[in-house]
Amino acid sequence: MGLSLKILQLREFLEEIFKILYYYRGRVIFSVTGVALGILSICIIITTIDGANKKARDIFEVLGPDSIMVFGGGERQRAARVRTSSLTFRDADSLYRVEGIYDLMKVYQVRNVMMKYKGEKWQTQVVGSTTNYFESFSWGFQSGSVFTGSDYDSAEAVCVIGAKVYDELFHGENALGKAILVGKLPTKVVGVLEEKGGGMGGPNIDDRVIMPLTTVMSRIANEKRYLGMMRLKTNRDIDKTVEDVRTVLRNNHGLRGTAEDDFTIRSSKDIMKFVTVISGQLFLFLGLAAIVALVVSGFVLANLFYLTIQERRKDIGIRRAYGATRRGILLSFLFESIVTTLIGGIAGILLSVMLGGTFEKLFDIPMLFSYKVVVFALLFSFLTGLLSGLKPALRASRIEPIEAIRG
Amino acid sequence: MISLKHIKKSYFIGERELPILKGIDLEIGQGEFVILMGVSGSGKTTLMNIVGLLDKQTEGEYEFMGKSIDGLEDEGLAAFRNMHIGFVFQQFFLLPYLNAIENVLIPIVYSKKQIKHPREKARQLLGKFGLAERTHNKPSQLSGGEQQRVAIARALINDPDLILADEPTGALDSKTGNEIMELFCVLNEEGKTVIVVTHDPKLASFGKRLIRIEDGAISQDITT
Repeated sequence: MGLSLKILQLREFLEEIFKILYYYRGRVIFSVTGVALGILSICIIITTIDGANKKARDIFEVLGPDSIMVFGGGERQRAARVRTSSLTFRDADSLYRVEGIYDLMKVYQVRNVMMKYKGEKWQTQVVGSTTNYFESFSWGFQSGSVFTGSDYDSAEAVCVIGAKVYDELFHGENALGKAILVGKLPTKVVGVLEEKGGGMGGPNIDDRVIMPLTTVMSRIANEKRYLGMMRLKTNRDIDKTVEDVRTVLRNNHGLRGTAEDDFTIRSSKDIMKFVTVISGQLFLFLGLAAIVALVVSGFVLANLFYLTIQERRKDIGIRRAYGATRRGILLSFLFESIVTTLIGGIAGILLSVMLGGTFEKLFDIPMLFSYKVVVFALLFSFLTGLLSGLKPALRASRIEPIEAIRG
Repeated sequence: MISLKHIKKSYFIGERELPILKGIDLEIGQGEFVILMGVSGSGKTTLMNIVGLLDKQTEGEYEFMGKSIDGLEDEGLAAFRNMHIGFVFQQFFLLPYLNAIENVLIPIVYSKKQIKHPREKARQLLGKFGLAERTHNKPSQLSGGEQQRVAIARALINDPDLILADEPTGALDSKTGNEIMELFCVLNEEGKTVIVVTHDPKLASFGKRLIRIEDGAISQDITT
């Protein structure tokens, strides 16, 4: 048999399938929609899980794998969003003596503080910290530098501003040495940070002002005793260090026996765990929805296909009379089913690309599109077509031509 | 060309045997024009299905063009039908989603023969049957007679040796029916072997040979 004949036959075969789909478009649209919705949810699952994992890796990278954070207030108070201050400078001093801890950063954060420079106003968060803040985050400077130890000791009104704050107040003008109002406190700008970018779903990391902890506590927040949080770094096993930190703090705070902690410890491990749990829940919830959608559309497809075959008995009979084999009939119906679900799959991918942005904003879940999504979506829609088309197609292939033609 | 020896066909309803064909001996040569006539229930359609390789006999031997086809399975039978037989049916059986020329081309999709320029050939056949202007119409846009002519073009696209028509005029008015029968006469004159199966005595005069089937057996076989 000549090659040109083969090519012609294949072309006619494929063209016919598209003509059939067009002719039965009313019912094809049902199937396509069902599959598209299923594939849409699969796309969203994959992209959000990829996004969540990337977010976890980003957090991990910023914090460093050896980080432990200690916040004031116990788990329950934190859950109720009550911030109870309980960490003191004395706690920080005792923690320095815990084995393995080589870095300790004290933080006191004040949200929604108004900044003013000439006519410009900008509301941002003020972070009071120690001079190691910048190295800890390996954060470089556009201009100027970190405040000094003596600024810290004497609670000088100096600040380092984030790139976002710089843009909002100075619009590219030189900021070094200029005085801005932080709340009511006139403060000298000593440094401008490099842009880090990547909000990671939370507040913009460049939208902050960093000042000596002492200045923020005594001159802005009027807080004499309690810190907001501490960040520790350890070169020992992280879980063992956490245990020791807990013992020291409970001792300092006079907590005995079954009394609840009045502080919360989070290690980078906990954050990873948290993200894993979140993406696991997403996977379960969305995965269930996707499977239900695909199974339902698979059943709908199979049933519509059975109907089609009843209606097309004559079609099958005439093809058989003119030389179609059972296998030929099986293949053409199977192809028809698979082409239908593939169209659904492509529609689903397009939908997820279009809706992805909206979804991202609505649920604050970052999404990460990749070729993997396309491969998975096409694979799933192919399988749906194959599985739901198989039984009807087998049945079609078993129809005897004389039965079909007799009518 | 066609040689049937002691062909019997029975259907079984549970344990009960229902004989349809009760031993048919029949020879049909190349270039004949046969009218196979019988009332409904006489077994003529069953005989046509066996001759057309759409059904298998329960007993007896069948040779088509000198070859025994009794041992052939699905693939072999399908290939044989495709190469040698062109079918025409009472209800035309055009596929609604294909236009006239695409319907004519259906056998090509399954063809093992090298037909040169099938599209061109389909157009020529439709032109020959007065459908040159109708090649891109869907079956629903064609009259009954036009649909049957498209069906005949489809039967011819693959250059078959035998045209097998089952009540080809049954769904048409008598004038159009006669036109269709005239068409078969022309094809026969061009060398095709034609078998028309019918219950309609008015068609008897079109053939060169009349075979009457009664109660599963040949009751009359006259060459005119």
